[in-house]
Amino acid sequence: MSYALVRPARLDLETFARAAAVHPDLIRRLVALGLVDADRDTAGELWFSPAQLRVVARIQRLRAGFALNYAAIGLVTDLLDRIAVLEAALRNSRQPGGRSWTRTI
Amino acid sequence: MAESRDFYEILGVPRSASQDEIQQAYRKLARTYHPDVNSDPAAEERFKDVSEAYAVLSDPRARRRYDAFGPDFRQVPEDVDPDAFRRSRAGAGAGPGRARGGQAAGFGPGQGDIDLDDLLGGLFGGRTGRGWGPIPGADQEAELELTVEEAYRGGQRTLTLQGPEGLRTFDVKVPAGVTDGQRIRLAGQGGRGSDGAQPGDLYFVVRIAPHPRYRVEGRDIYVDLPLAPWEAALGTSVAVDTPGGEAKVKVPPGTSSGRRLRLRGRGLPHQRGKAGDLFAEAKIMVPEKPSRAERELFEQLAAASTFDPRDPRRRR
Repeated sequence: MSYALVRPARLDLETFARAAAVHPDLIRRLVALGLVDADRDTAGELWFSPAQLRVVARIQRLRAGFALNYAAIGLVTDLLDRIAVLEAALRNSRQPGGRSWTRTI
Repeated sequence: MAESRDFYEILGVPRSASQDEIQQAYRKLARTYHPDVNSDPAAEERFKDVSEAYAVLSDPRARRRYDAFGPDFRQVPEDVDPDAFRRSRAGAGAGPGRARGGQAAGFGPGQGDIDLDDLLGGLFGGRTGRGWGPIPGADQEAELELTVEEAYRGGQRTLTLQGPEGLRTFDVKVPAGVTDGQRIRLAGQGGRGSDGAQPGDLYFVVRIAPHPRYRVEGRDIYVDLPLAPWEAALGTSVAVDTPGGEAKVKVPPGTSSGRRLRLRGRGLPHQRGKAGDLFAEAKIMVPEKPSRAERELFEQLAAASTFDPRDPRRRR
């Protein structure tokens, strides 16, 4: 399999904000609140992984849906992520042993 | 379908419910069906319905009009008298279906004590005027139950899910050798974005259904191999059903229960790696009601044998 190299591995603040359809100031604020991960280069510029676009979208949905403040959103997203990990672990541990097969005869 | 469901019914409150009760019901339902809390594809529809119902019922003026004119209240001019409307409706029969969700605007803000955030929050951004532009949709997850044979072979599966616009059918290409918990991604088939933003992805999480004979752990498959005592003692060759077809297992002499006989590569295949193994687990069976001859032979064996399975020195 081969993939075309169309997407840079990381985005600068302007590009990221445009892709997220959000003002760069808000992105800066989300970074400062620890809600969005970004790397800071030696010049102090922020760089984002495209995967963080999903993070911004989720913050927007949670904020719009529950009228949460940003600190609360941080808590909610952390808890949701932890639940997702636990649910995945639960799924994987459900299989061995247990009632998952019946004995012949 | 929720096409013409009553807003009170959607929120699960009586028509006489107070604003507090409506708010309470909405908050609970929103926490249950919010797309970031509930990744079930059907939850998106519920969340939109709940938000729409709340947008109307939390606004006293819109609620009054809804009570008077029903689901089509937005098409009724502001100055219509409810009683006159009801009389004219009684003659005209059923009205047209109401416009679908997401078009809950049409009543202006500024009606007393409504919380504008609450009113529009559930509709995701679009009209909030709070600086949110289009918001991409959330990822969704649905379970895809496969038999061991289906997981082994892979292939096309057609699935129907409840989506925001009714039932949606998906043709899912299942790769051969999927394992329990593996996710199959359908890009762009998840939750809808608002205002034309990108939709999320839909993931099918593979669940391998319990099988009467096979037990699957990762890519390895375990199967019971029932043996007669003499087969186990003397060795034999037995045909075993595997998901890939029948296979011969050579049972070495002196096989006790629990011994695992490996059929290398006969487990679930792997797209980019080593296939799993199939383990036939010896399980010695005895006749439940032995015939007279069998009984006598067992008695002879018992008398002649010095074998003690409980001898601690024998345990390996």
